[in-house]
Order: sequence, then structure tokens, then C-alpha cells
Amino acid sequence: MAAAGTCGTGTRSTGSMVAAASTNNVTSFQRRGPRASGADSGCSRLVSIAGTRPSVRNGQLLVSTGLPALDQLLGGGLAVGTVLLIEEDKYNIYSPLLFKYFLAEGIVSGHALLVASAKEDPADILQKLPAPLIDDSYKKECDEDVCSHKMEPDIKMKIAWRYQLLPKMEAGPVSSSRFGHYYDISKRIPQELIETSKWHGFFLPEKISSAFNVESCSLTPGYMKLLQFIQNIIYKEGFDGSNPQKKQKNILRIGIQNLGSPLWGDDICCTENCDTSHSLTKFLYILRGLLRTSLSACIITMPTHLIQNKAVIARVTNLSDTVVGLESFIGSEKETNPLYKDYHGLIHIRQIPRLNNLIYDISDVKDLAFKLKKKLFTIEHLQEGGLDL
Amino acid sequence: VTPSEGVRRGTGRILGMLESLLALGGLVLLRDSVEWEGRSLLKALVKKSALCGEQVHVLGCEVSEEEFREGFDSSINSRLVYHDLFRDPLSWSKPGKALPGGPLEALRALDKRTGSGPATIALDSLSWLLHHLPCPILCQTLHALSRQDSCPGDTLPGEQVRVLGLLHEELHGPGPLGALSSLAQTEVTLSGTMGQASAHILYRRPRQRPTLQTQWFSILPDFSLELQVEPLLESQPPSDLHTPSVDPTTHLTFNLHLSKKEREAKDSLTLPFQFSSEKQQALLRPGLGQATSHIFYEPDAYDDLDQEDPDDDLDV
Repeated sequence: MAAAGTCGTGTRSTGSMVAAASTNNVTSFQRRGPRASGADSGCSRLVSIAGTRPSVRNGQLLVSTGLPALDQLLGGGLAVGTVLLIEEDKYNIYSPLLFKYFLAEGIVSGHALLVASAKEDPADILQKLPAPLIDDSYKKECDEDVCSHKMEPDIKMKIAWRYQLLPKMEAGPVSSSRFGHYYDISKRIPQELIETSKWHGFFLPEKISSAFNVESCSLTPGYMKLLQFIQNIIYKEGFDGSNPQKKQKNILRIGIQNLGSPLWGDDICCTENCDTSHSLTKFLYILRGLLRTSLSACIITMPTHLIQNKAVIARVTNLSDTVVGLESFIGSEKETNPLYKDYHGLIHIRQIPRLNNLIYDISDVKDLAFKLKKKLFTIEHLQEGGLDL
Repeated sequence: VTPSEGVRRGTGRILGMLESLLALGGLVLLRDSVEWEGRSLLKALVKKSALCGEQVHVLGCEVSEEEFREGFDSSINSRLVYHDLFRDPLSWSKPGKALPGGPLEALRALDKRTGSGPATIALDSLSWLLHHLPCPILCQTLHALSRQDSCPGDTLPGEQVRVLGLLHEELHGPGPLGALSSLAQTEVTLSGTMGQASAHILYRRPRQRPTLQTQWFSILPDFSLELQVEPLLESQPPSDLHTPSVDPTTHLTFNLHLSKKEREAKDSLTLPFQFSSEKQQALLRPGLGQATSHIFYEPDAYDDLDQEDPDDDLDV
């Protein structure tokens, strides 16, 4: 990978034209060429930032979600400037894992973090992140697992021989890339890694004053404060290119937990026809605008099973870029179904964005299930385990 | 011995139902209905906490103070701190007597009061509060109540504030019920059959799978709990009305089972798409056996024998 040096052009890897920071131009169309400012002689290469890579399909700059299997399903990774929405499972056990993987990947890649929550203190969230695995120890884990359930090698798939040709999910570390890392959930991330990382926390009970004034603006005060906070960080730290003389470019990873729950002051989960029903959708719209003009990627977990108005869920899905739904088997009748006995839940990829593309990047496999082992969270095709012909 | 200390000490000891409900801390949601009321269970929990020497605050909204204190003996009554919202909820009487500011201020006052040591707050009831406060504000206040601010990281369950909330589930739609359930660490749904009350308890321990438990119980007049055995269902369908089941695999016109020889023959059969070495040889070297198959072709009048020009027969 090329060394991540400062490029004088400030070329945005999303391929968009230069943002309207300069107000002198008559038109908004500008040639993407070398700028006068900057010490270098002007290289128009794509900016190489640690922990990112361009997509092989459409050239978008991608960051890893922390789970290489999920990266593969999303077409290589999460595009910079987009929102990944995780629809929480019913008891909120597995969605915090995906949230933590995303943040841990940010720390390991050296990105800046912004953690927002109304339930837990962001410092506590960061303490509980999983520890990264080095390649050899992961290989040992993988082999142990394979030995523990050995399928009978005699029963080959004679009649359904086509299934042998299906591509297998990437379960092991790809040797050549430093893009996605593997994590051990049973261990906590070492304290030094947290201390060397740059993170900003937003904890709602601290930011909102105790006087609950119901304001007449259409955004609930919690959302308004969060948007201002994000905008402030993006501007101050220069993720939107506003301070080009600063140090080399970095990605800001934003994580928002339990958005839309009553703890954020939003009653979209409580009633079907609420007065502030547009608050959440406006928040997502403004957030996406902020993300598109900066080098950041965002993960949001939302308890959509609590939202009473189904139209709102559809709007929220349209306003997000990538939507992944988790459905756990706990407490449902699927728990006793023999088809699902090895797994803990299903993953539904509900939406994948079309960024500078005409077609979607969806993988062919629709039935995916996840399993939480002692140290790992794995995603597998449903049929691989239980084909019984 | 506080219930949480009991948890820490005797891991082999089976906890009583009340102790296990109180042990987890946080918000304990008691959902009752018209047939199976939950106030007696709430009072049993209050009595249990008071007997363990904890501070108990009660926010009474639905019943009067006398009615709530009825059935408790004097030692427990002296430990109960009662905040009365029933008598004068809108504080029309002279200020200083009733709690000013309405229910929200009362809740926030409770939050500030329980600064020291473990405490139990009983809210009677959450339904009343839900009708007087917007749901998100109530959720935020409950969350602030059940959190322990000063202790970082994992707090011992003994030092946390325990909030017991009584919720009449028939009064609310699925929205507020779902919102409060997602906040609760323990959720008890009361139901029963044939005069016997049961509690379906859902424990949401942090970072663990939730566990569901069903207990049959009854509450004695002095508000102590007695566990019952699950009552046998008497109205079972009589089993002699079963028609003898017919085996559908008898009297078939085709063969469902394979004999040993047939099974061997089946296993040794090469399927047409399987690429074995014999097939490879046969394809590479067309042997003598190929000579026996011929293709007989008689061209029609309109057949085009010239492979190169497909439009040869067109009259253009």
C-alpha cells in the first residue's frame, strides 16, 4: 500500500467535485486538478488513508466494519460518507457486538472515533471493546472449531452436487490485506490502544440540562445537540477539508447507539401517531448531509422492533444507506426449529446503496445466519450446516 | 443479609423468588392485569427489602397511604418513606404539605435522595405516571434513577438503586409497554389459571442471554411469598377417544424400502454428471463400443446443408 502522505490536492475519494468552500466561483463545476495551496507539487492520486481501500467495483473508498464476513456481504466494506443502520434484535444482545466491532476496528486502524449514547457512558463503551487477534492465534481458533464438529466425510453431496461449487463465506483472515481485523470478544481491548486513540464521547444525560423545556422546533433537543456536536467535531478536526494545512487525513467513525429509543427523548417507539414523528427522519437526513461532505462513516443501532408506525421504518430505511437487520431466535418459536439449531439468529441485508452505480452490489445469498461463539461472531450461509439429503 | 449479598455468598443455594427478583437491581417491572393484581407482590417485595435493612421509598399515586401501609407491621412501616401523590396530585392545598411540581419533580427528588447506600424505590404505579408524563421523559427519568452515577465500570448489585414499578398492562398500548420492557432488567408478568397465580419472569442480565422462568406462587396475608407447585390441568382430553393410527406405508403399490442388494446397486451407480475416471477414458478414446451407435439423417427439401451461409435459401 502506498504510504499515506499528504496530498496537496485534497481530492475527495468519493469522486465528488470540490465542496463549495470557495465562494468566489461563478459555477459549482470545477476541474478536479491540482490546487495552488499545499506544499507538494500536486498529485491527483486518490488519498491513501490507513485502514481504507478503494472498492474494486466502483472506486469508492471503503472502511471495514470490523467483521470481514459482513464486509464481504456489503460488497467489500462500508463506503466512506455513508450510514450503516443496524436494526436491533429484540433483546439487544447482538447488535451491541456489531457496534463494538466497528469501533474496535476504528481504534486498530487509527481512525478517530465519536461515540454517542443515551444509555451508557461512552468511556464505558470503549472499555468493553473486544481485543484484536493476531493472525496465528486466529488460525488456531479456526482449526479448533473445525475439529470440534467433524461432519462425516463419507456422505458427499451426490445429488445436490451443485452446492459444492458455491463460494464459501470468508471465515479466515485474508493474508494479504490489513483491511479487516479479527477480534476476541472474551478479552477486552488493551488500555494502551484506547489511550493512544483519539475519541470524542457524547452522553445525552450530561449534555441535556435538567430543565426539560419542550421546544417547538421539529427536532427533539437530544438530536439537535448531537447534530451540533458532530458538526463541531467534523469542523474542528478538519474531516471536511476545512483545514487543509493540518496533519494527514483521517477517517472519523461515528457510532450512535439506540437511536430512536425513548432515552433520546423521542417518542417514536411509544406511540403510533406522535407529534415529533419527523424528528428521527430529519435527524437522519441532516446526518447524511454531514457525512457526505466529510471523511466519515457512521454506524447507528436502532430498536426498530419498538417503532409502532411501520411507515416510519420504511422512511428510516430509505434515509440510510446500508441497512442490516438482526433477528435473534431467543423467545421465538424458531428456537426449537431443528433447521436453526446451530445458530443464534438470522441476518437480513435489507438495503445496499447504489453509490455512483446503476446496479446494486448485492451478494447472491439471501439466507444468512449468525452464531455467537465464545470468542467470535460468525456469519454463515444457512444451508452449509444442515443440508440433509 | 441483603439479597445481593446472598447471591454473592451462596452460589449453590437456590434463591427464593423474591430475592432473585431483587438481586439483579435496576428496574423491576411488574405487569399485572385485572384478574391477577400485582400490588400484593409489590408489597411483598417492599417488605423483603425493608427486612433486609435497606431504605425503601414509596411513591404512592393510586392508593392512599393508609391502604398501602395496611398489613405491614410497625418495624416495616417505620422503614418506609412514603411520598404521597394520591391525596393531592395537583397540589391545590397549601404549599409545603404536598409535593410541589407534580410527579416529575417527585421522581427527581427521589433520585437525589438516594445518594447513600442501597435503596429500593417502589413506584405505585407506573401506569399513573405514564398517564401524567410523556413516555420518553418517564423513561429517561427511570433510567437516571436506576443508574449509579458515581461508580465507574461494573457496580456491585448491592450498591445499586432498585426501582420496582407496577404497570397495569391493559391500560397501555404496545408502544409504552415495549419501551418500558426494553428498559427493565427484570420483567414479571402475572397471570394464572384456576385460582393459582403465576409469574413469568424474564431476567435480562447484562451481556448474557435473557432467561425466562415461570413460578407459581401465592401471597399470604402478611405479605410473604409462598411458592406453589404447578396445578395439574384437570380438563385433559380423554385418551381413549383416540382412533387407532393407521400406518400409511402399508398396502402401497410401489416399493418404499430398499433391500440390501438394491441398496448396494444404488450406491455403486455412477450418476450421469459425475466425472469419474472411466468416463474420462471413454471420452478421450472413443472405443469400439461407439461404433454401434449411428445417427440416420434424411434431409428435407428445405433443409440447408451449407453450414457457412445461413441465408442461402432466402430469395433476396
